[in-house]
This record gives sequence, structure tokens and C-alpha cells, in this order.
Amino acid sequence: MNRRTLLTSALTLAAMRAFPGISYAQARPLVFATFTGSWEEAHKAILVPAYRKATNNAGIVLDPMLSVDQIAKVTAARNNPPIDVQLHDPGPGLIAIAQGLVEPYPVDRSAYYKDLLPVAQEPMGPAAFFQVVGLTYNPETIKTPPTSWADLWNPAYKGKVGITNLASTLGTGFLVEIARMYGGSEANVDPGFTALAKLKPSLSAVASNPGALASLFQQGQIDISPGNYNAIQILKAQGVPVEWVAPKEGAIAFRTTMHITKNSPNPELAFKLIEAALSPEVQTALMQEPYLVTPTNTKVKMSGAVAKDLAPDADTMNKKFKFQDWAKINEQRAAWIARFNREMAG
Amino acid sequence: MAAASPAGFDPRLAWPLGSFLALLFAVPLAMLLVISLQTGDGYGFGQYAKFLTDWFSLRILGGTLRLGVEVTIACLVLGFPLAWLHARSPGWAKSAITLVVLLPLLTSVVVRTFAWIVILGRQGIINNALVGAGLIDTPLRLLYTEGGVVAALAQVQMPLMVLPLVAALGRADPNLADAASILGAGAWRTWRTVVLPLAMPGIIAGCLLTFTASVTAFITQSLVGGGQMMFMPAYVLQQAIALGDMPFAAAISVIFLVCVLIVVALLSLLGRRSRAHV
Repeated sequence: MNRRTLLTSALTLAAMRAFPGISYAQARPLVFATFTGSWEEAHKAILVPAYRKATNNAGIVLDPMLSVDQIAKVTAARNNPPIDVQLHDPGPGLIAIAQGLVEPYPVDRSAYYKDLLPVAQEPMGPAAFFQVVGLTYNPETIKTPPTSWADLWNPAYKGKVGITNLASTLGTGFLVEIARMYGGSEANVDPGFTALAKLKPSLSAVASNPGALASLFQQGQIDISPGNYNAIQILKAQGVPVEWVAPKEGAIAFRTTMHITKNSPNPELAFKLIEAALSPEVQTALMQEPYLVTPTNTKVKMSGAVAKDLAPDADTMNKKFKFQDWAKINEQRAAWIARFNREMAG
Repeated sequence: MAAASPAGFDPRLAWPLGSFLALLFAVPLAMLLVISLQTGDGYGFGQYAKFLTDWFSLRILGGTLRLGVEVTIACLVLGFPLAWLHARSPGWAKSAITLVVLLPLLTSVVVRTFAWIVILGRQGIINNALVGAGLIDTPLRLLYTEGGVVAALAQVQMPLMVLPLVAALGRADPNLADAASILGAGAWRTWRTVVLPLAMPGIIAGCLLTFTASVTAFITQSLVGGGQMMFMPAYVLQQAIALGDMPFAAAISVIFLVCVLIVVALLSLLGRRSRAHV
């Protein structure tokens, strides 16, 4: 290899990196926007191999990013979207549907759609996973496990409570749940804001995202907070003293939906990936240690820590989990975020 | 290579960078301006009016600019003696000081900011030391306070202040200070009338860099400041990404940009006047 060919190939490689369109113009691998952290790890380990098996080793690229970033990227290039399969929390999922960024899911051809829990059956993109939110606490400093959302207001925990702001699904879902607890609803969160105002003196931290909440437990900055079941597992595995408990009012559950992007060049591969994610085999594997992802397919036999901590079977899940009406929530969420900015400012 | 003359240059050499900047800087900036002028049903200054008539938004702007000033002052007060020491030290000590100043730049801002979370936390180094020494009973709240953000940013941005100061003080002839004292000026007067004016270009450059870097330091602001304290970068992000209100986010960005440019212009003006003085 002489200097000139080296230079040419280096320039080509650089151009391909700078303008991926050149190299992917004909056939690009399926691009799946998963979430960062444990999601990416779990999908890489379980979902990707299952997809490769189902598609005779078709190419796939994981491009982890937040729901809102997926929407921004697809909106910016509707005709040539950089993502084939989107993964969404309930709020952004409905926005993606409303803005026409996703294709209807080919429900008739799906082998698994009919087996999903009713709440997971979304014809514009079914839910392959649930995220479950309860109370996270430090068992070394809080000896009697909390049992209710109301325990956050316990004067004993003054200066040790953490929450997140409303930018996250967790923060907004929590506000709605305490609003419901005090007589409000998705349409009226005033009681929730009143309760938050009372919580303010107890707060040690209002994290700007749920990830920051985790590091605050690690630092001993907070001892109790609303928390995601799966986020806690990572901390526990690292030896941080945290426990998770479902409050007696019921844990909040968010459906995490997968969508085929409109104008995707790979609709068939996208369908195969989502089918793999809905299959009982993949969902059963994802439910095991260390991922502990809550399944949405009723054919999955619940077992292990998920069965013990969350629900022993699909029927209980359907009854016990608190699902929220995110279509209603989305209507006013912007106003709530503005209100939270003002009322909770430090 | 046979260059015509060392000073001569061909303006066409600036074309690659010029077109690169035009494409990736001027065009997006123009797009930002256009987007900021979008209102619900046409074009106008509605988004700007919304920001400028809203106390909450103005408070965020004011708080962000105040943060920049506080960090700049902290960096200047702490950095000047260091730069002075550097200028007055023998060669080996100069290298050591330079290394210490540059060391933080070799670590990512995210890592340095996380270190500050460990330092400021309820069970962090400061609180543990104070409790251990029996000075306080319950840990102080240091994380998620403005003081915490200022301290963390001052450390993170310190090299931006010290390096220009070192350059300016290094250029000043140490004999000048000696001459001043021989002529009867006291230490304070020497510093005020000789050292300070000579260091002025460095001070201005350092303040410029520190100020602009700290008002836009999104990572440190949000990780050490938390979700209750809002600064302009986080406000832009929230409006654009969480709320999807691109026109308002663009208007906030433009207002922020203009405010920072005003500060930059004032400092440059000060710099030009001080140069005239020297």
C-alpha cells in the first residue's frame, strides 16, 4: 500500500463517517434506537441474537438515545429517517404516533400481538416491555420499609427525600399518581402540586433526570425516592444499599412501545425485530437476572425476582399495576413543566 | 518549500476554513434566527416578547449571567496569584505549575463534575470532615446549591483563566517591577501601577473565556445544580426537547447569545482602552 492509496482510503472512510448516507444509500442495516444503559446491554445480549436468528443474520445497529431525541431526529428527516425502529416511553410514544412518525404495526401478520396484555396492544406500535415505578430506599438508614407513597412525607425522612423534575416520564408519572391519591386525575393534577409543595422542605434533591437520582443514592445524598425497578437492580448489583418496594397503592407501570418508523427503508426487518421482542422466548430471557425486565406477553410464565417483587402472573399484573392515561397527560404536560419550574424553584 | 516571503500569504488559503465556517456556523445561525421569529400563525417578535415580559424567564437569564460573573471573579481572585507565582518562579517550578494548571484539562468535564458531587454530597469529603471535627452535627446542604455550582465551575474553568494570565505576566519584564521599587514605589503601588496594567490583556482574555465557558457549562450546571435550579442552557433544552417548542427555544438562544455578546463586547472595549493606556 503506497501513500496515495492510504490517503484515498482514509479520505473515503472519513467521508463515510461524515456522510453515512453515502455508504447506506443502497442497503443499510436495521437501525434500532434503544435506550442507554441497562436497556442497551439487555437488548444487545438477548434481543439482537434472537433477531439475527429470525432474519438469517441480517445486519442491525443499536443507536441508543432518549425517546425525545428519537422524535427530534426522525422529525428532522422524515423522508429518509435515520432510525428504523423507535423505542418509546408512553408520553413520547403517543406524540410520535400523533405526528405521523410511525407506521401502523402489521397486527394481522403478527404471531404474538394477540397474546399481549390488553394495555400493551397498541396497533401503532405494541409494548414489548413494562417499566415499573415504586419506592426506592436505603435499608441501612430506613429500617422499616416504606409501604405507601405517603411515606415520602414522613417527617423522619426530612432532608433525605429525592424526586426528579417533570422532564422525565418518572417525574411526570409520580406527580399524576400523587394527584390521584389526593383526589385528582390525569386531567387535574392540582392536588399533586399541593402535595409537592408540602414535600419541598423534605427534599434533599430534585434531580434533573432519573439517572442522577441513582448516583444520589450512591453518595448518600438521598435515602428515599420514587424509583424505577430496573434502575435499582443496577445499583444493587454494584453493592449500593438500595431496596425497592411497591407501595400499597400499587406500583406505577409505563408501557415501553416499539414502532416501525414511517418511510423506513427496512420495514420488514423492523417488523421481525419487534416480533422477536414480543415473543415469549425473548421476554422470558429478559426477565431473568440481571436484566429483570417485566414482560408484556401473557404466555410468559412469570418467575424469579420479577414474579416475587412485582406480580406472580399476567392477571395480577393487569389488576395491580397502575397504568396512566398518557394521552390525557400529554395534553397539559407542557403547562405542568412550566408550573413545576416556577413552584419548585430552589 | 519556496515561499515568496515569510509575511506574505495568499488569501485563497483561507477558503477551505472560510467555507467550512460559513456552512456549519453562519447557515445554522441564520436558521436559528428564522425559527425564533416563527409565531403560531406567521412571523414576528412574539417569542421575544413572551420571554422579555416573563419574570420567570428573566430571572433565569439574570441568574445565569450572575453565575458567570461569580465564577469569573472566583477564578480571577484564585488564579492571579498562581499566575504571578508562575511568572516569578525558576524554570523547574514553572513547568510544575503549568502541569498542575493543565492537569484538569486532561480529564473530561463530566468526570470532574462527578468528583464534585462526591466532594459536596451529604456524606462527601467536606461534610465528613466537618462532622468529624465536631463543627456541625448534621451534614450541610452543599450539593444542589448555587455556591456548590460556583465552586465546581471555578475549578473546572480555572485553566481558561490562568493560561492567558500566565502568558501576559510572562511577557512583562520583571525588571520593571524592580525598577518601580527602586524608584520608591511600595509593593501595593508597584502592583497597581505596573503589574496590573501589564497583566490587563491577560485578565481580559481570561475573563472572556471563563465567563462564556461558565454561563454555557450545561453539564456542570445541571449535575451540581440539580433540577430545582435552572440556567439558560437547561431552559433551552427543556423548551426544545421536553416541550418541543422550537421557536421559543430558538428565541431564548438568540437572547442568550446577544447577552453574552454584549458582555464580550464590553470586555473587549475595556481591553482596547487598557492597551492604549500601556
